[in-house]
This record gives sequence, C-alpha cells and structure tokens, in this order.
Amino acid sequence: MNALRIFAEEAANQATVVNEFEQLLLRIFILIIMFGLGAGLTPKDFSLALRRPWGLVIGWLTQFGIMPLVTYILIVTVLFPFSSPEGIVLVALGALIMGSVPAGTTSNLFTYFSKGNLALSVTMTVNSTLWAFIMTPAVMFIYSNFLGLDESLSIDFAELALVIVGLIIPVGLGMLLRKLSSNIGAVLELMGGVFGLLFIPFLIIIWVPRNWQLLLTTEWPTYAVAIGMGLAGMTVAYYIAMALKVHPSNARTISLETGINNGPLAIAVIIAVYIDNPGVDQILLVPALYSLFIVLISTAVTLVFRRANLAAEQKIPNLL
Amino acid sequence: MTERPWLAHYPKEVPQSVDNAGFENLPQLLAKAAGTYAKQTAFTQVMPNGMNGSLTFAQVDQHSDSFAAYLREVIGLKQGDRVAVQMPNCLAYPIVAFGVFKAGLVLVNTNPLYTGPEMTHQFADSGAVALIVSDMFADRLADVLPKTQIKTVVTVKISEFFPPIVAGVIRLVQRYWNRSLPKITVEHTWFQSALAQGKKARDASRASSYLTGVGNHSIAALQYTGGTTGVSKGAMLSHGNLVINTLQMIAHSGEGMRAGKEIVLTALPLYHIFAFTVNLLGFYHNGARNILVPSPRPPSNLRRAFDNYKITWLSGVNTLFNALLNERWFQDSPPKHLHASAAGGMALQASVAERWRELTGTPIVEGFGLTESSPVITFNPLTGLAKDGTIGIPVPSTDVKCFDEHGNEVAVGEAGELIARGPQMMLGYWQRDEETKNTLKDGWLHTGDIAQMDSDGYFTIVDRKKDMILVSGFNVYPNEVEEQIAAVAGVLEVGVIGVPDEKSGERVQAYVVTTLPAPTKEQIVAYCRENLAAYKIPQDVMFVDELPKSPIGKILRRKLRDQAVASRTNSDNTSKGA
Repeated sequence: MNALRIFAEEAANQATVVNEFEQLLLRIFILIIMFGLGAGLTPKDFSLALRRPWGLVIGWLTQFGIMPLVTYILIVTVLFPFSSPEGIVLVALGALIMGSVPAGTTSNLFTYFSKGNLALSVTMTVNSTLWAFIMTPAVMFIYSNFLGLDESLSIDFAELALVIVGLIIPVGLGMLLRKLSSNIGAVLELMGGVFGLLFIPFLIIIWVPRNWQLLLTTEWPTYAVAIGMGLAGMTVAYYIAMALKVHPSNARTISLETGINNGPLAIAVIIAVYIDNPGVDQILLVPALYSLFIVLISTAVTLVFRRANLAAEQKIPNLL
Repeated sequence: MTERPWLAHYPKEVPQSVDNAGFENLPQLLAKAAGTYAKQTAFTQVMPNGMNGSLTFAQVDQHSDSFAAYLREVIGLKQGDRVAVQMPNCLAYPIVAFGVFKAGLVLVNTNPLYTGPEMTHQFADSGAVALIVSDMFADRLADVLPKTQIKTVVTVKISEFFPPIVAGVIRLVQRYWNRSLPKITVEHTWFQSALAQGKKARDASRASSYLTGVGNHSIAALQYTGGTTGVSKGAMLSHGNLVINTLQMIAHSGEGMRAGKEIVLTALPLYHIFAFTVNLLGFYHNGARNILVPSPRPPSNLRRAFDNYKITWLSGVNTLFNALLNERWFQDSPPKHLHASAAGGMALQASVAERWRELTGTPIVEGFGLTESSPVITFNPLTGLAKDGTIGIPVPSTDVKCFDEHGNEVAVGEAGELIARGPQMMLGYWQRDEETKNTLKDGWLHTGDIAQMDSDGYFTIVDRKKDMILVSGFNVYPNEVEEQIAAVAGVLEVGVIGVPDEKSGERVQAYVVTTLPAPTKEQIVAYCRENLAAYKIPQDVMFVDELPKSPIGKILRRKLRDQAVASRTNSDNTSKGA
C-alpha cells in the first residue's frame, strides 16, 4: 500500500492523463470483479431466473430505461443551466456513460445488507452486464444526439460494443470456473465483492490526489449530478417496482441494482475510447465522483430500507 | 392377537431378524466400510456459498486412528473415559467420533448451541475428561471448565481439511466479517496438532489393545436427552446398540438404500441421535457419500449442496421438509436424483408428505425412535406398503406393543403407551437408576408416547403422553389438531397446547405462523369445526412470528406452555379468546 502511495504521489506530479500502470491496475480490477460476478452463478440460476422473469425484466427496464433517463434529466435541468459552459459537454458525456453502463457488483453487497433478494440481485447484475454490449451503445446512441457532441467526441458504437464485450468476457469464464470447481468459484466470488469495494480506496489513492485542483474547481452541479443520479435512480426504480406490486424485498433489490452502476466498467470504457482525447479528465469526472459517493448513498438507502418493518414482510410469499 | 403382524408387510428382501453380523464393536463395523470403499469419498462438507472440502473413507480411517492414538497415548486417557464432543456438522466430526470409539472411550455428544449452565451440567454429569470443541463456541469454556473434570480441550476449525486457500478465506471471513471467532482464554490444543501428535505416537500393536474387552455390551456413547422434558440425562448406548440399530435400519430400508451409491444430504446435526445413527453410522457403513451442512438455517444454506451434488437421499424432520417446500429455488428446481427421504424426530404432517411426493416424485416415509433406542424402532417400508400418518412397522428383531395404564396390552386400533423391546434399547440412564427403572421394565422401553396399532401391524403415534390435553374429561391430542390447522391455506407452522381453564380444566390453544395472505382466526376455527369434534377445536388462535424449536427443529410445546403460563401471570386481563 505504501509503495502504491509513493507511486501515486509521483504520478500526481506527472501528466494528468491516466498512465499505463493505472490502466493495468484498472484492468486487473475489472477482470477480478467480472470473474467474481460470473463465479457467483450457476447455469441453474439462469434457468430459475428465466422461469420467473419479472424481476429480471423490471430490472432490465429500470437499468437501461430509468437510469439513463434520470441522468439525462439531471444533465439538462441541473448541469447545463447552472455550470459555466466551458468543457461541460465533456462532463455530461461522462455522466451519460456512467448512467448507461450495467449494474455494479457492490449492489449485491448492499442487497444483502438491506435484506433484499440476493439471488435476484446477482442474476440482475449478470443479466444487465451481459446485455451491456448492446444496450450501452444503444442508450448512448439515443441520448448523445441530444447533447450535441462535436466531431472529436463522436462515438463509434461498434467500437464501444467491442470494448464492452472485451470487458465482460470474464463473466462467462467465471461461470465456467464455478462449474469446474465450486471452491475456486466461491473464492473468486468473494474476491470480486472485495475488489468492487477496494475500488473506492483505489480511486482515493490514485485519482483524488492528482485531480485535487480539478475537484476544487469543479462546480456544484457536477457534484449534484454525480450524487443525484444514483439516488434518483434508486428512488424512481423503487417506486416503480412497488407500483408493479413486486415483493418489497425484490423492490429493494431492484432499487439498489438500478442505482448502483458499474463504476470501474464506465471508467475502463472511457479510457479505452477517449484516452487520446485531451478532455479525458473531464469525461472521467462524473464516473469517478459517482464511484466515490455511491457507497455513501447506498449505505444511507440501505439504512432506510432496514428500518422498514422487516418482520412483517417475511410472511409475504416470495413469488416473483 | 397375532404376534408381529407386521412381518407380513416386510418387503421380500428385508430379513425378519438382524444380529450384530459378527461386529463386536463399532470400530469393527467402521473398518468394514473403510476397507470396502477406501478410495470413495465418504464426507463432503459444503458451506452456504458452495466452498467445500472432502475426505475419502481411507482418510477418515487413518485420521481417526491418529486421533485415537492422541487420546490414548498423548493425553493418556483410559478405556471407558468420557470424551465430550461439541461441534456443528463438519469434516472433523466423523474423525473425532470414530477416533473416540477406536480408542475404547465413550462419546458424549453435546449441542454446540448450549449455554454455559447447560454445558456445565452435561460435562459434569457425564464426568467427561476431555472436550473436542468448535473454536466458534470455545469462549464459554472459561466459566464452564472449572466446574467439570475436563482436563484437555481440543479446538476444531470449521474449515478443517478444506483446500488451504479456501480454508484461509473462510478463516478471514469468520474473523473479520462474521466476527465469529472469539478469543479462547483456556489452554487448548488445535485439532491438526493433536492429529499430528497422535500420528507420531501411534503404535499399531498398542492401538489394537485399546479395544481389549470392548464388546457389544460396553458403553459407546452417553447420548443426552430429556432437554425437552426435564433435566437432561445420559442414555447409555452400547456398541451393540449402535451396531445393531445401524444394521437394522439398513436392512429395513431394503432396496431403498443402495450400497456404495447413495449421496445423502446431512442437514440435521450429527450430535443428534437421528443423524448420528442414520447418516453418520448407517450411510457410512453403506458406502454412501455424506454431504455435511454445518447449519441448515436459513434453508437457503442448503441450496449450493443441492446445486452441486446429485443428492439421492435426505433425512430430516417435518420442519426441514416443510421449509424446503417453501423455498422458491427448491420449488423451481427440485433435486433430480433424489431416491428417497426419511422423516423422524416429530410427526410428518400428511400435507407436507403429499407436497413432497408431488414435487420430488420420490417416496418420503416416516419412522419413529428415541434417543433411548439408538434411535430407530419403526419405519415405513421404502419399497413395500407405506402408510401415511403412521410411523410404519417395527424394524427387524424389534417388538412393539401398546399398553394401557394398568399394564395390559390394548386391542388393535386402541390407543396405549408404546413400549418396545429389541437389541437397540439402551443399557439405561447414566447414574440414574430410578429413571432407568421407570423407563426400562423387563427389557421393554416405555416411550411415553401414546400410539395405536392397526391390523397390519402399522403404528400411529397419537401423541406424547405429557402433551395430551384434557378438556372436560375428554382427551385431545395436539398432533391431531395441528394436522388439521396445518392443512389450512397460509399456515406455515403450528403448535397446539393445553392451558389451564376454569371451566373445562384445560382448553386448546393454537399458535400459528402464517404466510401471506394470512388466514383469519375464524377461517382456522371454521376448518377445524368441519374436521374435528367440538371439544378439540382450539379456543384461542394466536398468531406469532415463530415457534420455539429444538436443535433439530422439533416444535417445543413445553416452551409454548411455559410462555402461555408466563404471559397469563403477567396480565390478569388475558383475553378469553371470544
């Protein structure tokens, strides 16, 4: 850890663009997180989920419908009107990518703590991750038109799809490993969860010190969007799920799944696609801030959920 | 009356009598399986997340040899000394239990969830001199040990014999996540160190002398019982009791239990006599692979075991089968390879048995036994005529009768106390002659259960003698009322007890755990009215979140009664239940 900090300090004095060592670390993070995600699953889980697909369908809709929409609304109502115009399109682009990526693995952890449906959570995360190579480019295609991106930022959607495919392949490998050895599978699953959480200190050590100046000069609407998208996503998804009369524990699960997106994946995508763009730091701003704050938001939401009358709910048959 | 009318219903492969087959003690029985199935997997322990470790028959045999040597050579125990064992289902358990038998010592199974005073009572009463304990529970020892004769403590990790990395991860999770590893303040030896010392100290010729004189009539285990009825006492089970009951159970299962082929899920705790004889001794002897689950609660803990192993056999209690039937994953994907299931410990409700057969497409049969009978007395035949709602027919070499309170056998179809005789009946209660005399009379074990026999020789338990409710002079058996209430839609679990009543002496009170949509009190009473005589209908129906249960999941009516009495004395304005 110490070596890492020294390295971070050195890096802070260097150019602001993400260097190769950090990219390597990020890749390792993603690899382990995705491996762990797949290792949490057996083919049986899938067949079970398909038999009662409503939770997955609702989760899919909120993940790729509500989350990007909420992000977009925050961009046009908060970010654009209240920020100085310079470079704000880059920040908006980052926010949109953050809102369009699939669910993150930490959602499973918070689902566990909020007494949600853990099996549903894991299958939802995997489901949205596997859909991401189609849905993330599709969502970006829809909303990026509204942002008015110039030539330098235009997105090659096929390339985006390929980048995501590359990042999610380990999910399949993780599932395969689990089938071969449930011991390796279970260890990977745990490591995936741990690394999902370690991403926060990783950001704080590597990214925050170097971008200290940037963070100080960042205007409040950017913070508002980074914090608000997760919170609003969870709230809207929760009420939609409740309106559709799903079991409250499943509604909590869907809520957390929707609001917690895969920060490391968003950052890796941005680096892969925009590493040569001079504005890459601006694009990374919301995903990095989101990743830092989402743990606090999720903790708060989990505490609210736990206050619900859980004992009374346990009697409700779990039929979703 | 025909003697043993049940023999006509034995499947053709089931013998009418069973002896010890030449096995003079448990180690000889164990050696047979270890030799026959040496390279096959004997035990696999599965954690809720699927992490697992396994031991072959040969490994279990070798390690238990080492452990026996540790007990005799390293800490110097003498034949007949008592060794208390207190741990959940794990890979170390068979090694410790078999090691104790091989060393010619007496096993004292102890519930890991016991409180300090309960542990103290059991350790002191048995006179145990050594304790093998799971490190998760060893923090209570500082208060307990000084009041007992225990001199040696061996601590066992739940992850014993797991692959090293997996074991390390489990330790980390236990220490930093679950915080379930308390600081152990008493002097103790780690299990692996004990095994290593034993292996070094072992001398084959001396090892064979450990069992000199240990025969069918020597005590093998003090199995404590009566925790649900009064002060806990140790049933002295001999080597012969356990050897023969194992063979009786296997013989009675006939083709329902295939040698060398079964994969049995052991979700019930091994320290309990049911799983101890049926799963640990019986299935081991039969060459099965035992899938050990440390804790079956919540029932989702069993999911990975069902996912990852082709479970062919399941032994359990009504509560466990019912819980599984209410799990979504189990409903959606019932075990494909299941061959048969056996229920004991408490009445298997007809509604549960029917749903189980419907969902899994495999037989589930109910049996009956007591700690004092090692435990199997009766079982429904797996391959012949099984009658739902009955406890089946006596296993080979066992006689069962129903007696009235004057000591006369009652007629077919009439209820009386079930008494049983056979080679599996205990030697007596440890250092309790009075209780022994009241329970064992002329070789007949008086069970305290009211039963009746039909003309085919099938027995039905009406109820526990002491649970019987006397309403205005009429006998009401809680089982009968519970059976009806359990059939009401939305009822998950039910316990029925009698509480004192000014008018009728006692009245019937039901405690119900429901799912949603919950039935109303009126619906429950209306259903009972259709199916039960007026005096049996519960006057009070209380809705509760959970019912008190024993370690294996038996609903504890005694605790319900205690609670009812306590709540009565607490408030004078008890609702009269409209």
